[in-house]
Amino acid sequence: MRRGTEGDEGRGKRDEATPFPTRLARVLRRIVGAPDYAAYVEHCRLAGHAPKLSEREYVAEFFEAKGKGVRCC
Amino acid sequence: MNRVFPVLVWSGIAAGGAAAFGVLALSRGESVNAAWLLTAALCSYAVGYRFYSRFLADTVFGLDDRRATPAERHNNGRDFVPTNKWVLYGHHFAAIAGAGPLVGPVLAAQFGFLPGTLWLVIGVVLGGAVQDFVILFCSLRRDGKSLGQMAQEEVNPAAGATAMLAVLFIMIILLAVLALIVVNALRASPWGLFTLACTVPIALLMGWWMKRWRPGRVGEASAAGALLLLGALVAGGWVAGQPHLAPLFTHSATTLTWMMVAYGFIASVLPVWMLLCPRDYLSTFLKITTILVLAFAILVILPPLKMPALTPFATLGEGPVFAGKLFPFAFITIACGAISGFHSLVASGTTPKMIARESDARMIGYGGMLMESFVGVMAMIAACTLDPGVYFAMNTTPAALAQASQALGQAGFVVTPETMQALAARMGEATLVARSGGAPSLAVGMAQIFASATGALAGGGRTLDALWYHFAIMFEALFILTTIDTGTRVGRFMLQEIVGHVWPKFGETSWYPSVIASSACIVAGWGYFLYQGVVDPLGGINSLWPLFGISNQLLAAVALCVGTTILIKMGRQRFAWVTLAPLAWLVTVTMTAGWQKVFSSDPRLGFLAHAASLAGSTDPHAGRLIFNDRLNTFVALLFMLVVAVLIVTSVREWWLVVTRRKAAVVHEAPFVETGYATGD
Repeated sequence: MRRGTEGDEGRGKRDEATPFPTRLARVLRRIVGAPDYAAYVEHCRLAGHAPKLSEREYVAEFFEAKGKGVRCC
Repeated sequence: MNRVFPVLVWSGIAAGGAAAFGVLALSRGESVNAAWLLTAALCSYAVGYRFYSRFLADTVFGLDDRRATPAERHNNGRDFVPTNKWVLYGHHFAAIAGAGPLVGPVLAAQFGFLPGTLWLVIGVVLGGAVQDFVILFCSLRRDGKSLGQMAQEEVNPAAGATAMLAVLFIMIILLAVLALIVVNALRASPWGLFTLACTVPIALLMGWWMKRWRPGRVGEASAAGALLLLGALVAGGWVAGQPHLAPLFTHSATTLTWMMVAYGFIASVLPVWMLLCPRDYLSTFLKITTILVLAFAILVILPPLKMPALTPFATLGEGPVFAGKLFPFAFITIACGAISGFHSLVASGTTPKMIARESDARMIGYGGMLMESFVGVMAMIAACTLDPGVYFAMNTTPAALAQASQALGQAGFVVTPETMQALAARMGEATLVARSGGAPSLAVGMAQIFASATGALAGGGRTLDALWYHFAIMFEALFILTTIDTGTRVGRFMLQEIVGHVWPKFGETSWYPSVIASSACIVAGWGYFLYQGVVDPLGGINSLWPLFGISNQLLAAVALCVGTTILIKMGRQRFAWVTLAPLAWLVTVTMTAGWQKVFSSDPRLGFLAHAASLAGSTDPHAGRLIFNDRLNTFVALLFMLVVAVLIVTSVREWWLVVTRRKAAVVHEAPFVETGYATGD
């Protein structure tokens, strides 16, 4: 049984149940590389386990990882 | 009918592009509209993307949507996340596009608009986009491994170590050049310095907002930061007009150099959420918005190009902006926008960990680079809308201007001091003469385009030239500082890793003595080259930009070596020309440029000749300048040697595999069938 991507199920691709401003905010967050705790919680729910990180822990870890990324010239 | 229509459409696009190139190439002595340049570029991108990238995706790489990507297999909701391809396209573009595609074309405009534009368009379709795509594909098949790791596994361990050292050296030169651009733009500019100085407290406030007050609320914090930034921009104009405040923000290039060095060190040792992340968000929003607005403004006004298609400096090699003939220097001056080795670090960084389907790599890798090339074409248009006399007066030091005055006069590229003074007054600056580095002339070009567009849209009201000029300066300086923040930090991590092999404690990235020592080493490295550029009487751009171009293109050669090795090991040697052709071109260009920079007998071009010309000089700085020339010689030769080693190592590996003396072992992650629906 094939399933859709997580995007098809509510992230990235159009999801009529989610209000447009929320969808737009999610897209912008992804483009600029901003943390999205709601998406992380949603991922954990789909994966069938409770979130391992609190929002503060998630944000701290996200920023730490971002500091190791390269920005081109 | 269904089959004929696409053929007709694509034939039309190809013919349109060819016609536009024809107009650009054949126009002599008359003004050409920017519309022709845009048409030539956009038609070429469309044809390249539709046909060449599809050939690469389907025939050469064999992208397979049945194969699960790292984002699917290792999905953790954090760094490995399957992401919609349009969103990831924006994310990838924001990571690859910086000051390079804006500044390189502006400097290369000294040859005229045609050589740079041809290189931007042809280079990206056959080289730059191919490099980004092939490295993205290779990393995608290897769980998102970095370029260094792939070089180590697929070529050999020595190649991996060589690639890592090359990246570290290149990072130091890159940061020095970028910092030099900011220093030259802010020298004696109280408005510009005040606005940029304000970005530090604004970023600190945003960091506190996003981390402590309302964790993760990047949108709110960025909106507040953007409003404060615009306030600082307007306030900067007021500060510059106050006799008691303006001197506080009016500094020499040397003072600004020390400020930059101190800033780079502090940004590297502070927690990442405090300064680096908020500044990154601010600059990303500003970058995407400004690029979109610039594209819109150019399309609205379609400005005429005042620079000729070719200037005498293309063949004379005595250009006042930087020395050297069109070949090879046009091809290393424009790196980002045509082909940039640095992109291979992004294409083997976060992006491959977020791709949902293999086929998405085509749009993100190849298409993302086409967009960066388009940014380069817009920068070329902005520079070439300037009067050539103004362009050369801005981008040339007084010493170089004096040397090139005869050639400039014969070409008709003259401008009166009164014109330059009036232009400076319009832009809210004390002077615009000898503001080399590319950023100020790009800012003037952008300001004129924005002002014309707002004037046209507002029915000819106030055009706010000075505000647009300083907005453009802030836009460029902001994301250059972001690159300096991230580059210094990444350089620090690399140094800690290298030293950590012999002293494990030093390799701990959270051990503060190691953090401070490694940050100081990296900052001292680029700070030294920055200082050398600032005090160089010929302008540091003349020596540092070619070194940066050579190093960046040599990193691209490293990436293409790795890509070629993997294609050959995959049994696709009959298609290895897709990476071998740009590799051969880059090696030819960079080795020629490197050789000329070291051994040319022209003191303006060759480091050794310049050092020899200073021997016995009474100039009190002669000793230091001679030392700098010898250091630049060493750096250029080191870059060339590093790449020569990597090429020899790779060629040996290819020979062994092709002649079946060595088994072709690829280190791909095993095939796992995707659980996602395919084909939609």
